[in-house]
Amino acid sequence: MRTRGAREDVCPPPRVPAVPREPEPTPAERELDDTTLVVRAREGDVRAFSALAQRHQAALYRLALRLVGNAADAEDALQESLLDAWRRLDRFRGDSAFTTWAYRIVTNRCLDLLRRRRATVSVEQVAEVAPERLAAPEAGAPEHAAEVDAGLAALRAALRTLPDEQRACFVLRELEGLGYAEIAEITGASETAVRGRIHRARRGLAEVMRSWR
Amino acid sequence: MEVGRTVPGGPAGETLGAAGPADERIEPLACGRDAADVWDHAVEGTLDAHERDCPHCRAAAADALGLDGVVHRMAAERPVPPPSVLDGVMQAVIDTVTAELRPQDLLALDSPAGPARLSRAAAARVLRHVVDGMDGMRARSCRIEPVGSGSGRTGTNGAAGDGAATNGGGADPFGVTVAITVTARFGVDLASVTARVRQMVVAAGEQALGVPVRSVDIAVVDLWDEP
Repeated sequence: MRTRGAREDVCPPPRVPAVPREPEPTPAERELDDTTLVVRAREGDVRAFSALAQRHQAALYRLALRLVGNAADAEDALQESLLDAWRRLDRFRGDSAFTTWAYRIVTNRCLDLLRRRRATVSVEQVAEVAPERLAAPEAGAPEHAAEVDAGLAALRAALRTLPDEQRACFVLRELEGLGYAEIAEITGASETAVRGRIHRARRGLAEVMRSWR
Repeated sequence: MEVGRTVPGGPAGETLGAAGPADERIEPLACGRDAADVWDHAVEGTLDAHERDCPHCRAAAADALGLDGVVHRMAAERPVPPPSVLDGVMQAVIDTVTAELRPQDLLALDSPAGPARLSRAAAARVLRHVVDGMDGMRARSCRIEPVGSGSGRTGTNGAAGDGAATNGGGADPFGVTVAITVTARFGVDLASVTARVRQMVVAAGEQALGVPVRSVDIAVVDLWDEP
């Protein structure tokens, strides 16, 4: 429904509620749907973007953490991804869910980070760690200090050894619960490729985890 | 080779980041079944009669179930980022918005104390807030445009009187038009509620912004139900 009209005389004028000035989104703004928040943020409403970021940051961080394998890099990737999202909101057309679009930004950011990181690691270093440490938890890493579930630690270590694209597809499917089509959209690969990568990741991990059964 | 259990090359043997046809292909099990389908059926508990009896399928299902338990435990983990991450993002966003504010992003206000300007984003926030306060209504987009010559009333060149001069000296053209999209709760009387939106936007323009609202264009773009 669309209505258009010239200004109407109002007597007496309605009382207008005061606008909150605090930088945080209001409780009402936090309850708005993603589409409304995206439209508002695209028009420069910083609080709407803040509400969006607050709503999705934990899931995006989880994805980043599982892709890059350590908290410091995951925090950097999340921060850069959210800033990317703010800068590129104009390009988000709403064809897919905001979460899918944001997952894509985080995934690409993490894969870039991993590529850059790998470029600084020598072939000898890779050869030294790869085969022997497949199932060994990394002792001493802060995020694993309280690791009591050896199987979980082994899976975490094995995940790191997967090719990046396989790990991304596996994490999105098995840990985030997304469907093949959505993962294809996020990773830019075909559904066939996604399905293949997930299957290879599963088999690779199952091979490693067999000793923990 | 025991089909369904051996990873060619093993995970450590992969070229990191490699993705090609070999990465996409799924070798069928020796019995001909799609290995990925059997895996999905195993974790979903939907194995058919063949898959329950066939040794190849059973081996694949055992791998699937062996991995599934620990994957579930990992999926249940809920790490959260420290507050400093979002704080840093929002500060950078605010800095960017401030640094990139252009003259056309500002509305000139008619102030007896001298020229005053207000960012369109802030003005839109005021009007959206008014609509949000109405029962069964939520504002989505809110575009505010100066009336008439427009640019004469915006930005750093928006001195009072420019609009009148460029409009041929007619009646005071000072003011704005508002185009707003709203979503409404299913079941509200749209005709009456949009009339109320118009009233409230006009009143907010005058009371909160000090800008006469010359027209209000309202589009109801979606309906929602109470959760």
